[in-house]
Amino acid sequence: MTQVLHRGPAAPPRLRVELQPTGRRVDVEAGSDLLSAVQAAAVGIVAVCGGHGACGSCKVRVVRGDLAPPTDAERSLLGPGELAGGFRLACQARVLSDCTVGIPEGSLSASQRLAFEGGGVAVGADTPVLPVDVEVEPPGLGDLRSDAARLLDAIAATNGLRPEVDVPVLAQLPTRLRAEGWSVRAVVSQPERGLPRLVGVLPPGTEPLGLAVDLGTTKLAAYLVSMESGTTLAQAGAMNPQIAFGEDVMSRITRANESPANARLLRDSVVEALGSLVEQLCAQSGRSYYDIVDAVVVGNTAMHHLLLGLPVRQLGEAPYVPAASDPVEAPAASIGLRLNPGAPCYLPPNIAGFVGADHVAMVLAAGLGSTERTVLGLDIGTNTEISLSYRGHLRSCSTASGPAFEGARIRQGMRAAPGAVEHVRYVGDRFLVQTVDNAPAIGICGSGILDAVAEARKAGVLDSRGALSRQHPLVWRSEHGPSCLLVGADQAGNGRDIFFTRSDVNEIQLAKGAVRAGTKVLLAEAGITEEALDEVVMAGAFGTYLDVGSAVAIGMLPAVPLDRYRQIGNGAGRGAVEMLVSRDQRSLAREVAKRSEYIELTVYPGFVDIFADSLPL
Amino acid sequence: MPVLEELRQAVVDGQAKAAVARATQGLEEGIPAEVLLRDGLISAMQEVGRLFEEGEIFVPEMLVSARAMNATLVVLKPLLATEGSEARSEGKVVIGTVQGDLHEIGKNLVAIMLEGSGFEVVDLGTDVSPERFLEAAEAGADVVAMSALLTTTMTNMKAVVEALGRAGLRDKVRIIVGGAPITDRFASEIGADGYAPDASKAVRKVRELLAVKA
Repeated sequence: MTQVLHRGPAAPPRLRVELQPTGRRVDVEAGSDLLSAVQAAAVGIVAVCGGHGACGSCKVRVVRGDLAPPTDAERSLLGPGELAGGFRLACQARVLSDCTVGIPEGSLSASQRLAFEGGGVAVGADTPVLPVDVEVEPPGLGDLRSDAARLLDAIAATNGLRPEVDVPVLAQLPTRLRAEGWSVRAVVSQPERGLPRLVGVLPPGTEPLGLAVDLGTTKLAAYLVSMESGTTLAQAGAMNPQIAFGEDVMSRITRANESPANARLLRDSVVEALGSLVEQLCAQSGRSYYDIVDAVVVGNTAMHHLLLGLPVRQLGEAPYVPAASDPVEAPAASIGLRLNPGAPCYLPPNIAGFVGADHVAMVLAAGLGSTERTVLGLDIGTNTEISLSYRGHLRSCSTASGPAFEGARIRQGMRAAPGAVEHVRYVGDRFLVQTVDNAPAIGICGSGILDAVAEARKAGVLDSRGALSRQHPLVWRSEHGPSCLLVGADQAGNGRDIFFTRSDVNEIQLAKGAVRAGTKVLLAEAGITEEALDEVVMAGAFGTYLDVGSAVAIGMLPAVPLDRYRQIGNGAGRGAVEMLVSRDQRSLAREVAKRSEYIELTVYPGFVDIFADSLPL
Repeated sequence: MPVLEELRQAVVDGQAKAAVARATQGLEEGIPAEVLLRDGLISAMQEVGRLFEEGEIFVPEMLVSARAMNATLVVLKPLLATEGSEARSEGKVVIGTVQGDLHEIGKNLVAIMLEGSGFEVVDLGTDVSPERFLEAAEAGADVVAMSALLTTTMTNMKAVVEALGRAGLRDKVRIIVGGAPITDRFASEIGADGYAPDASKAVRKVRELLAVKA
């Protein structure tokens, strides 16, 4: 008989998970789920619902090894073919042995198209940083002033300014002054409020640079800007690595609430990504991070809080109050950004828990902040922020449009990656599609499904309630319910039919209904009808790529002539650049946030009725 | 009685104005409010539930049907009270969206489908504290139904389950939860009795928990 020694509960054995195609390996406890393993290996996987087994986005394929049997969530979200082919949901699949797991392209958060629009902005006298070229008197036995004192004396003699100097700048002074032979370009900040500070000491004649960042829930966009000319010298983008902790803001707040360590992890991951964006920008432009003497970061209120390490719990629960909404100016180094050690970082004000500084930036870029015209501005995403300027009065709201426009919750939905159907037209008796990069179709992205619904409605394939016409030759009942064919399997890049379902139409109805209902409330509060709109400005990736005609046709956007629409690309990024080079724009941001009247839709009287009225196609 | 059939169809089609008109016409023709409720509205919502389960209609249609039912109820309710014709209740359900969450569309649909299936529904609204759930349950309830749309607020469901437990009501009421981020697993983790992914299945789940015959 074998003797067994019992020494209390044994620690679960460590198992090795190998991830393809990166080849990264990670050790996990037996019984842990694959999503945690993938996250621990720092591979960017999409987990739209944050690992709750509700969305089906974290699909992986098991190449070898034993896992616990599929859960109910997996059986309902994965097709029988997928299960048989070894596909699992990473958040559900529990590891029982060493294993090898492949992460399909579609589940990776990288390699996705990023939308930017740079362009120059004018720099005026209100520049937040002022370069001052000075010749500093070298010290001698008859002149024992400190390095700082002699530099400040020289600045004062040149333009009368006497800036404050902080320790990080003091620390670089002696080396810098001597390295440059006592001839330097001092950069003095002229903050919106408070005293001027010395933010950097550069080689003479060096063009000071600024960094503008749009810190999106999904994407990060960074711009390197000349503080002299306002020209964007380089731009770079990346996925927000926090996606591994949940795709939407709420899932991330939940994760941050779980433990201070998680909150730090969320913060660190994004700080690291910003650091590598700065490196890219410097490499692209051949400049040094040392020349970056100012920064502006815009993001929604949750991104803002997570970056600053502010608590987010109160943001996640009604009445969704921010910890801080005033502008913040802090040393960039204190946020973890590696720029010139003296560089400040400015975070513009937030309007409300769900309308953040990114929307303020977009309002500036769209010109809503200072206009007497009647202008509607929309930033369409998982949450859609809408602002209406009427007679100089600003009203704003945030509406839960859901992730359908990002391709999520659509049966064959995907992001705007190569092979995604992005535009659809109904010609003759069939659909013609255009895909990203003209690659053979493998799925449908947000603008594609929107087009498909609009075109199908126009062709009578769909009725106003969203039901598919059974008589139409392209409509059939698939295993996913009534479905409509877009691209036949023989033309598709994955050898499968590309189609949309009645349920997809339903998702689009809910999403567009939310956007329309938010717009209706703002118009009603202003006491005007949509015909009164002089202009409708659309920002954001989806707002830029969607077909306005289709969006108007299905009643998502106001039925005004199409020439009143303007698509401005990354409005938040543009607004950030504007604030970077202009104190006046920073003041305007403060004013916009202060006088913007925020309307909370969930408690708006009759909102459910307005929403229901906005659902028909 | 074609007016009854027309009322039923108007609610199924989500035509609020037509539904109210047919109900008013029915009353003028002398049809008791109770009959209009049972054979018009309740029958219509059962049909809506059936169509939903079969994938024939989706949430948008359900919403407009629910609205038509609500609009008609406004006309019928005062009469139901005066007639004293308490429709036989299948059970009493206390429903609400949990604390910290202001979303009501899904919760309203569940409430209306339950009502349309003959349950007595006490709707506590949104942002409902555990104390208010408890109070309502103490006043007498067979089922407590909770909704949450946010991952940040779904955890507040647990507080309600615990409050009911502390008050010694856990054996007397069945607890059902739902909402976008909720799963079966989550429901059992927090000690709820059941989860339903949509309004129609919620009715079935409540029936199942109370073992009421459909």
